Amino acid sequence: MSNRTEFLDSIRHRTQAGRYKPTKAPDSAWTRTPERPFATPPIEDPTARFLEELEALGGHGKRVEDMDEAREHILALAKEREAKLLVRWDVDELEELSADEPLSEAGTEVAIWRDLEDFRDVAAKADIGLSTAEWAIAETGSLVLEGGVGKGRTVTLLPPTYIAVVPVDRLLRTTTEAFGKYGGGNLPANLCFHTGPSRSGDIEMSLAIGVHGPGDVHVLLVG
Amino acid sequence: MKAALFIPCYVDAMYPEVGVGVVRTLRNLGVDIVYPEGQTCCGQPAFNSGFFEESRSVAKHFMDVFEKEREKEGFDYIVCPSGSCATMASHYYPFIFKDLPDERERSEELGHKVREFSDFLVNVLGVGDVGAKMSGKAVFHTGCHQRRELGILNEPRELLESVGGLELLEWENEELCCGFGGTFSVKMPEVSTAMADEKIDALEKSGADTLVSCDSSCLMHLAGRMKRRQTGTRVMHLAEVLDPGNPVNGKVG
Amino acid sequence: MTTNKPALKRDTVDHRKEGVESKVEGFNDRARKAVKDRELHDSVSLFVNKTLTGRQANLAALPEAPELREKAYHIKQKTMANLDTYLDQMADAVESRGGNVHFASTGEDVVRYIGELAKRRGSKVLAKSKSMATEEIELNRHLEEDYADLALDIVETDLGEWIAQLAGDHPSHIVGPILHMNKKRIADVLSETAGEELPPDVKALAGFARQRLREKFLSADIGISGANFGVAESGTICMVTNEGNGRLVTSVPPVHVVVMGIEKLVPKFEDLSVFTQLLARNGTGQKLTVYTNFITGPRGEGELDGAEEFHLILMDNGRSKLLGTEFEEALYCIRCGSCLNVCPVYRQTGGHAYGSTYSGPIGAVITPLLKGDKEAKDLPHASSLCAACTETCPVGIPLHELLLKLRNRQVDEGLAGKAQEMVFKGFEKTMTSPKLLNISTKAGRVAQKPMTKNGSLRPMPGPLSGWTDTRDLPPLAEKSFREMWREGI
Ligand code: SF4
Repeated sequence: MSNRTEFLDSIRHRTQAGRYKPTKAPDSAWTRTPERPFATPPIEDPTARFLEELEALGGHGKRVEDMDEAREHILALAKEREAKLLVRWDVDELEELSADEPLSEAGTEVAIWRDLEDFRDVAAKADIGLSTAEWAIAETGSLVLEGGVGKGRTVTLLPPTYIAVVPVDRLLRTTTEAFGKYGGGNLPANLCFHTGPSRSGDIEMSLAIGVHGPGDVHVLLVG
Repeated sequence: MKAALFIPCYVDAMYPEVGVGVVRTLRNLGVDIVYPEGQTCCGQPAFNSGFFEESRSVAKHFMDVFEKEREKEGFDYIVCPSGSCATMASHYYPFIFKDLPDERERSEELGHKVREFSDFLVNVLGVGDVGAKMSGKAVFHTGCHQRRELGILNEPRELLESVGGLELLEWENEELCCGFGGTFSVKMPEVSTAMADEKIDALEKSGADTLVSCDSSCLMHLAGRMKRRQTGTRVMHLAEVLDPGNPVNGKVG
Repeated sequence: MTTNKPALKRDTVDHRKEGVESKVEGFNDRARKAVKDRELHDSVSLFVNKTLTGRQANLAALPEAPELREKAYHIKQKTMANLDTYLDQMADAVESRGGNVHFASTGEDVVRYIGELAKRRGSKVLAKSKSMATEEIELNRHLEEDYADLALDIVETDLGEWIAQLAGDHPSHIVGPILHMNKKRIADVLSETAGEELPPDVKALAGFARQRLREKFLSADIGISGANFGVAESGTICMVTNEGNGRLVTSVPPVHVVVMGIEKLVPKFEDLSVFTQLLARNGTGQKLTVYTNFITGPRGEGELDGAEEFHLILMDNGRSKLLGTEFEEALYCIRCGSCLNVCPVYRQTGGHAYGSTYSGPIGAVITPLLKGDKEAKDLPHASSLCAACTETCPVGIPLHELLLKLRNRQVDEGLAGKAQEMVFKGFEKTMTSPKLLNISTKAGRVAQKPMTKNGSLRPMPGPLSGWTDTRDLPPLAEKSFREMWREGI
């Protein structure tokens, strides 16, 4: 096995040798022409755009007034899905939601992402995963999910139904903006831009939803 | 306006009527034409096969001939009825002479003068309508060099749309290569033919009775295949369509 | 799972046994068969047409697409010129976050590292997410052979890759690995695994895969993934998947091993804003891939999921020899698959004809560069040089020019063959002498007389038969343009 110094030396040696200067980065289809106007209007109503993008991907989005309305929505959904177990992030926003009690009263047990013996047992058995998101992106209908203490990755991934409750002031306009939030590369161990339900086109280009991750994705924009 | 003709070798030997069309069309528009008789080929067959050394010799010959003519006659442009050969002389000479500064400079200087026929008409002469007439329904095939290296997409269409009696149709996957590709057509004949077949299928579906292009090489390939498939489509170079002396004399494939 | 391979009668499978070298040659032979396979042609067209439509709509909606492309090119150019520095930075960053870094010069290094890791940890189940780098080095096969005593169960978890694995087949497209298989064939393969008849219905098939692979995820000891990008400043790995298998492979098993080609680096996290968008929009016609996942080292203190152990293998395997050469741009590739989709040759032949891990234009470029010209002699010629690839490439790689340069390199290496050499020597001679050209044309005109019929030449022997077998060839005109000019037009 090669060691680091040797490996890097051999590369250094090559990058310095010759330094080929490419003559051109070709261009034609990428050039603007009258028939191919690239100009798109800026996103004026990020909420509307977010919901539109998410729906187009087969997800479901809703703007709700407050946490109370969000809670009602989640209760209804849990009932509709006949959920036995819901697993949720251990974060302030979801405390504020205060959905745990009403959920268990309605027959959906709630597991909170803390002090778990083996997370697999919980995340893989849950019917619903519930989280918040650091940001949401209007342009693409994406959620920006940070991993961390109380914020399990598999909560958003293993249960067939996934719900995110996101304060509306976290809505960003573009992907570029979202990347900008992590400029300088100060990143948590996990970060994920999650855009719509899990899908695959591997079988004859026919869309299969929920192949590994959740196929049933709901985002509630609060406020 | 004085233009030097560059008639590609295979047009010279197999499709002289294309060159004649260019001469008559341009003269009709008042262009003074010279034809340097020492010209042969742009060197593309060798170049495309990777024989850069051989193509450099041919390219040097090309530059010698046209430079000498320029000293003698002082033309403004070199006009070529082939998008592909025009690309070779304007874009790829600097590429093969990358490491030879003298030749590179010569090739860039001369390359700026090389214009494809429809490009010359529309963008240099400013003529989008030569007053030609021909009846029929045509589709236009843009050669890949013309499309992607020269970026000449609208000029031939503009010229064809103003031909009286001619209807220009759309066809499926217009941007696909016809499968000629120079020596590719002989080295990988099955793939090359399958590519032609896809074009011809689209052509048949379009309802056109005429196929027009600015490259006789693509036309040779498609016409050759159509003849084998017994598709009765008329095949014409743009210069033949516009030719004031020879309006409806296309070859039937 | 991997022992359960139904025999497959595709010639790719035999080649696999013969080893990598022999299978790359013979594009022409395989292509000849492939163009006759109408079913294959339909499958390929279905995939590329759909993807291209999505791509076009998406690019049109991205106002700064041309600028992004230029930016991408320049970021890659800068990265390659200073690759050693960025690799060093990346390794430091990963280590500072508690990850392990290994530098692998060859594919064998990678196999050994992972094999030893599995041995040390007593691992049994290895869950993999789609990775071209591990395909390239045939990681699965080598692990199974070299570490047979461990009886590893290596499972591909991308739906398409898994089906290919079960069928003993190879992926035929960077992005759509089994686009060459139709529903019925897929149902057959999965039915055999299920031990019961599954209907050729997408929902049922995907449902079965979900359930079967879920078990694997939960029991996997090691997750193996590739990387779409690596960020030098932060030591971050970016992986994109639509199914979510990439996120699962990196979140559930206790160990995560990344096999990343050294060219996947970008200097800064924000650079990925450019690349993730270009990749999604060009590769699959999406705005962003469903799971655009960024992993920086092992799970943090107090986290309950995510890998406890994180290993990054930086793999060279022939890449560094392109640095500083006129072929360096080939390393800018982000494996979006767009050049395959627009390629008229790929469209006719599909991916298996190339006989290499990477097919289409980028495959024709990168295969001879990594494996050597002799091993992939046909590939640079598997192109009509239409430049659709160059036009589409989101990072601005001049693919068709690289193909030309490769053809030239073959000539310089004497691989073009004596016959061709003679032809082009003759060409050079004729075309530098108007006199000689004139004589040849006249001689040709005489010679063709008895061979002409109905305005076409008869089918010819020798190299020209390549043309005349399927297409008519017009004879030389009675009078050349030159002669007409002299006579006066
Ligand atoms: S070469 Fe360009 S177009 Fe082809 S896969 Fe790579 S990035 Fe995409």
